[in-house]
Amino acid sequence: MQGFAPLPLDPQTFTTSNKGRSSLCHICKGSKNLCGKDRCPLMVKFYSYTKTKRLIDTQDLHGSSPPGVFVGRYGYPKVDIGPLVPPDLGDTLIMDTPEQWMGKSMDEIVDFRFRLVRGKHLVDVKDFQNGGRIVDFTRELALSVNSVDVEARFSKKPSGRIVLDDNIQPFGPSAKLEKLSITNPKYDHKVEKAYYDTDLKAAEAVKGLYKNEVLISRIQKAFSVGAFGIEQNRRLVPTRWSITAVDDLLGKDLLRSTKTFPLINEFRVYDWDQLDNRWSVMLTPTSWRYELIEAWYPNTVWNPAGRQVEIISSHEFFDGRKDYAEIGGCYYAARLAVNELLQRERRQSGAVIFREAHPGYLLPVGVWNVRENVRMALTQRPRKFNTLDQAMAYVQTRMDIPISTWTYHSEVLKDLKHQRRIDDYV
Amino acid sequence: MFQAKFRSDILKGIVDVVSTLIDEAKFKIGDNGIQLKAVDPAHVAMIDLTLSKDAFDQYSATETDLGLDLEKLKEVIRLSRSGDMIEMRQDEERGRLVVMVGNVTRRMNLVSTEGMSDPKVPNLTLPARITVTVDELQRGIKAAESISDHVALNANVEGFEMVSDGDTDSVSLKLPKALLVDLQCSESIRSLFPMDYFSTIIKAIPSGTNVSINLGNDLPVRLDFDIAGGKGSVRYLLAPRIEND
Repeated sequence: MQGFAPLPLDPQTFTTSNKGRSSLCHICKGSKNLCGKDRCPLMVKFYSYTKTKRLIDTQDLHGSSPPGVFVGRYGYPKVDIGPLVPPDLGDTLIMDTPEQWMGKSMDEIVDFRFRLVRGKHLVDVKDFQNGGRIVDFTRELALSVNSVDVEARFSKKPSGRIVLDDNIQPFGPSAKLEKLSITNPKYDHKVEKAYYDTDLKAAEAVKGLYKNEVLISRIQKAFSVGAFGIEQNRRLVPTRWSITAVDDLLGKDLLRSTKTFPLINEFRVYDWDQLDNRWSVMLTPTSWRYELIEAWYPNTVWNPAGRQVEIISSHEFFDGRKDYAEIGGCYYAARLAVNELLQRERRQSGAVIFREAHPGYLLPVGVWNVRENVRMALTQRPRKFNTLDQAMAYVQTRMDIPISTWTYHSEVLKDLKHQRRIDDYV
Repeated sequence: MFQAKFRSDILKGIVDVVSTLIDEAKFKIGDNGIQLKAVDPAHVAMIDLTLSKDAFDQYSATETDLGLDLEKLKEVIRLSRSGDMIEMRQDEERGRLVVMVGNVTRRMNLVSTEGMSDPKVPNLTLPARITVTVDELQRGIKAAESISDHVALNANVEGFEMVSDGDTDSVSLKLPKALLVDLQCSESIRSLFPMDYFSTIIKAIPSGTNVSINLGNDLPVRLDFDIAGGKGSVRYLLAPRIEND
């Protein structure tokens, strides 16, 4: 995308001073107020900076929505929904299509995301079918394949509150919608078909569209505006939840057959670097088990005040897990990406994903970052090893954190190391 | 061909011990009875079950493999009371198993046995053999399972001990020779096992059963016991955890 004036981003603006103590921020990620303060100080700092940098200073905005929509989660079941609209006309598709962001720099992503103004309209998640024109138009945007011209009238000028969240892609200021009109939406035929099928369960719709190669970001968008499911069950789903719902649902569905495939024959390691994140995906010649381990360096997004690297992980063994992953939505996004590879090869394996987030990873850019990076890693040529020790020794050459530390934080690695198999004695 | 009639608690005993490790099982049907060998998906535990045709009230069969979904068998068991008779007949044409409990007839599709391999049973020399009623072990498990994710099984000439060491607490179940049914052990022996496997296996064994624990140093444990009033037997094998570094 050319022609968007860059927003000046100075790394120092977004990191707090080093207070010399370990923090809870990498666990909270701005969402749980674990530090005890009313609002996340990191976020506030960022907001205050951006307030002075208003991009949009008008009550009437005319632009091409990528298309993009947003469904809020605060106040559920009464939530704010509406379009994401930039002050740009033309093909803006990339602005809300994370699948196309691989290879873009942090600055580029942030630049075009912060141009997206979020229109807000309060509506009940269940009682939205007759929610009026704003709701109808928002849904039409979500089902569209192309950028759609939008005219939005706000009750006030959009305020410079920019949303940063670990799960959702960042976006720019927002304002209450008074009036919304759109032109020339062109529906995605596959998505449209699922929308009009009011006897098709939402889960089946999602699986069907995915098998028909509809982009996950597009499925997720339609899912969030209540476009799928048996008619009386349809409801709006906050964007944040809908991303993970779709990742989880698709990952679980693939896993059902992944678990029946024969095992791979060797240890493999796939590498990938992006946005100052180092990724290594290790596949093990075992039945399904999976772990995502993230190491946050001091001065990265979720470890701003720490002195030491913070490591968190979530895992599952063959039977899966029942509670929500400690590590968040990225767990489900990466699990889907791993299963896509195993489905292509019709093989089963275990997977341990190592992620080192280095200080250049300044801003959270959303779960797509994890999904697309793991997908990308798994298109690289893997290195193959006969033993766990050899594979780990190689991972060590890629990562700064010692193997012993990774293992300490990993249930799957500990199990591989200590638990013998029946086959070892045959 | 397979056709049999038997008490429902016989089926329950089998399904209970097999379903702890696997969801679908390949039963090898023969002239003289039934056999099953299977490992769990993670290949950490194994079951080797035999049931003589004497355990059945009626039994006629020629050699065949039956792939069964154990969850479906559990549903059938739930329809019956203890002591009820169950009849089973293989419908070869349709690839089904027909099960009759009282006036209910359930027809279930057989599971394909193609992908189910026949696991090799390791040949192990295990120096110690401790025989104990399963109820003692079940009490020990109850005390220990919230403490740690692994459990140590120790034996020496004086008796048997089950120890679970957690980060903050520990639990031990000590059974001196006098409380055991039998003890054959001439040296000190210890192996460590994953708690989740050990506890689900122990819980699946019907209370009152005498279990022989065959143990070595850092070797798999083999649990031997009889089912169906001595007309069948089960061997569980569980691989150890090794504490290196």
